[in-house]
Amino acid sequence: MKLTPQTLESLLAIPSRSGLARAIQEKELDIPLPQVRRLRARLDELAAPAHPLRLGIVHTYTTDLLDPWIAFEASLQDLAVDVYHAPYGMVLQEARPDSGLVRHRPDVTVLMLQREDLHPDLAQPLGAFPSSKQEEMRGAALAHLRSIVGQFRAHVDGLLLLTLLPAPAGPGLGLYDAQSERSEAAWWATLKASIAQFLRDEVRASMLLDLDEPVALIGRSVFFDLRFWYSSRFPFSAAGAREVARRLAAVGAVVKHPKAKVIVVDADNTLWGGIIGEDGMHGIALGPDYPGNAFVAFQRRLLDLQQRGFVLAMCSKNNPADVDEVLRNHSHQLLKDHHFVARRVNWEPKPNNLRSLAEELNLGLDSFIFIDDSEHECAAVRYELPQVEVVQAPKNPIDLASCLDRVARLEVLALTAEDQAKTAMYVMERRRRELEQDITQRGGNIDEYLRSLGMKMQIFIDDAAQVARLAQLTQKTNQFNLTTRRYTEQQVQDFIDSPDWTVAHFSLADTFGNSGVVGLAMFRRTAPHAAMLDTFLMSCRVIGRHAESAFLESLLALLAKQGITQVDAQFLPTRKNVLAKDFLPLHGFTAGVENSHRRNLAAMAPRSAAEFPIEVSVFGTDKSAAATTAGAA
Amino acid sequence: MNTFERLQDAIAQTLEVPPASVGPDTKATDIAAWDSLGHVNLMMSLEQTFDVQLDVEDFPTLTSVPAILAFLKARGIA
Repeated sequence: MKLTPQTLESLLAIPSRSGLARAIQEKELDIPLPQVRRLRARLDELAAPAHPLRLGIVHTYTTDLLDPWIAFEASLQDLAVDVYHAPYGMVLQEARPDSGLVRHRPDVTVLMLQREDLHPDLAQPLGAFPSSKQEEMRGAALAHLRSIVGQFRAHVDGLLLLTLLPAPAGPGLGLYDAQSERSEAAWWATLKASIAQFLRDEVRASMLLDLDEPVALIGRSVFFDLRFWYSSRFPFSAAGAREVARRLAAVGAVVKHPKAKVIVVDADNTLWGGIIGEDGMHGIALGPDYPGNAFVAFQRRLLDLQQRGFVLAMCSKNNPADVDEVLRNHSHQLLKDHHFVARRVNWEPKPNNLRSLAEELNLGLDSFIFIDDSEHECAAVRYELPQVEVVQAPKNPIDLASCLDRVARLEVLALTAEDQAKTAMYVMERRRRELEQDITQRGGNIDEYLRSLGMKMQIFIDDAAQVARLAQLTQKTNQFNLTTRRYTEQQVQDFIDSPDWTVAHFSLADTFGNSGVVGLAMFRRTAPHAAMLDTFLMSCRVIGRHAESAFLESLLALLAKQGITQVDAQFLPTRKNVLAKDFLPLHGFTAGVENSHRRNLAAMAPRSAAEFPIEVSVFGTDKSAAATTAGAA
Repeated sequence: MNTFERLQDAIAQTLEVPPASVGPDTKATDIAAWDSLGHVNLMMSLEQTFDVQLDVEDFPTLTSVPAILAFLKARGIA
């Protein structure tokens, strides 16, 4: 839709930054460049963006012209962006440790390369080469890219994004291209898959930002503007530039904002059309025909988001039995009971229900995204719980399935096995709670419950295979976290490689299943007989089962064996980690000045693992043990 | 707003300069931000603001307020 002077005026009259940003995004307007500048200035005048974002762009075509769109889209995501454009074409010079890019210290570095950069023969039609030569060219292109990316990764911190500019023209062999054994489209698709695998397996904190996707979204003839391309080496139309900028801003939002973890959905007129309490099982819109199929598509989209690692919860004003009936017996209902980690189906105010969900799931409300069709409910949640991101479900069912596609915090930059199994984890936890209730109702105590779980802990020392998950734990864990220090994958890898550090993680299994990697401790040796506990954290998923105690005491036993007698630790209070406040005093650490604590292992020896209802095994070589042995010899 | 005012606004917003610095006789060389990159942005802004289609050949001729006004007039925007 075009931006009319009337719409512009009504936008400029909105009195709050969040209100204006929401209005701009909801309307999906086509905004001319001068008004992009004006609206961005207005947003920043209402309130400065909450987070700074340092962006570095290395390019082999003109990218400076993206700036107004990047600044606008970033501002819509509450980010104040500071963009550094490397000098035109100086790609590898920028990977040097003293380059302008490195000095800019970007949170996110984007390599904006052209396809032709990857191999000199790409200046000619791919169809000119036999498949064997094509194969060889693909290998050479990948090798070249490996070398470029490797040099940047070695010297530039932060997230590394790789983009390849799609071809402004259709494939060389036209209509027949897809079927040809010399297909250009197939050659690029195969290369793209190899690049993705290379980044996934070998380059930490990296991502292929696929520009084929915005081309598919808005169309090749709209995405490119060949006049600017031929005259100024700037490939994008205004619409194309904005799509690229939107993706960069979304990545920035994921890097800079609190992580979203939970999607809370309303039921009536959100998961299905109509009101179950009034319209009944056969009256609600949910099924193969319009509008029921639009609601099915929305549910399908929610299942996609679950695969990205978000968990689903429900918050609905209804009689619980009515909603149960749909989940259990409606033949077109995709989301079943086991897809929801928790439900609040009652007549309580929704803000209260969200608070109680946060408590049950042990997650902060700033990790919640709330979706509801009712303007009133959305306003109530925005007012009472400003930390919850609220998405009002569109009135038109056609727009429902795509309404979450533009929520930047629902993007993910990496996926671990834990992410994909998260819902199952929470459902296991729900069953544990049910067992506990069962035992206590029969007069049993908590120890009896914990022993009945048959817990087994596996501790791994300096396990490089889990670097992504360990970095993610430092980024995401807010509550049971002594120091809340955030580390990148690179930093965690450096600690694992360092002889002075011990990086330990654990996973916990019981009769209900395996928790995956849920705890991390990192010690730094400060003197031959002393160590500092730099990081100690645990996912709230396993809280209340003595796992933190068993983990700590087992690690202290390990340190004691290496001749460590004194362990220093800190508790750095934040708004969220009150849960961990008493952990150090309860484990024999004496408080000193400035949040510091100390435990003397000679005076108070580590407790034996047998004292806990958990069977502990330790795996992995220990560098410092080897070093100590070598030193002693 | 008349055509000059719309143009003045488009130039001021696009190049992020005060509207007062854009007068009826302003040339690209009068405004530091109206450099080669600024010019490309301005061409995009003109198209979107006045709903006209420019050719690459037009870009180098539209480097002053009078030239742009004359161009718009020739396209029936007065």
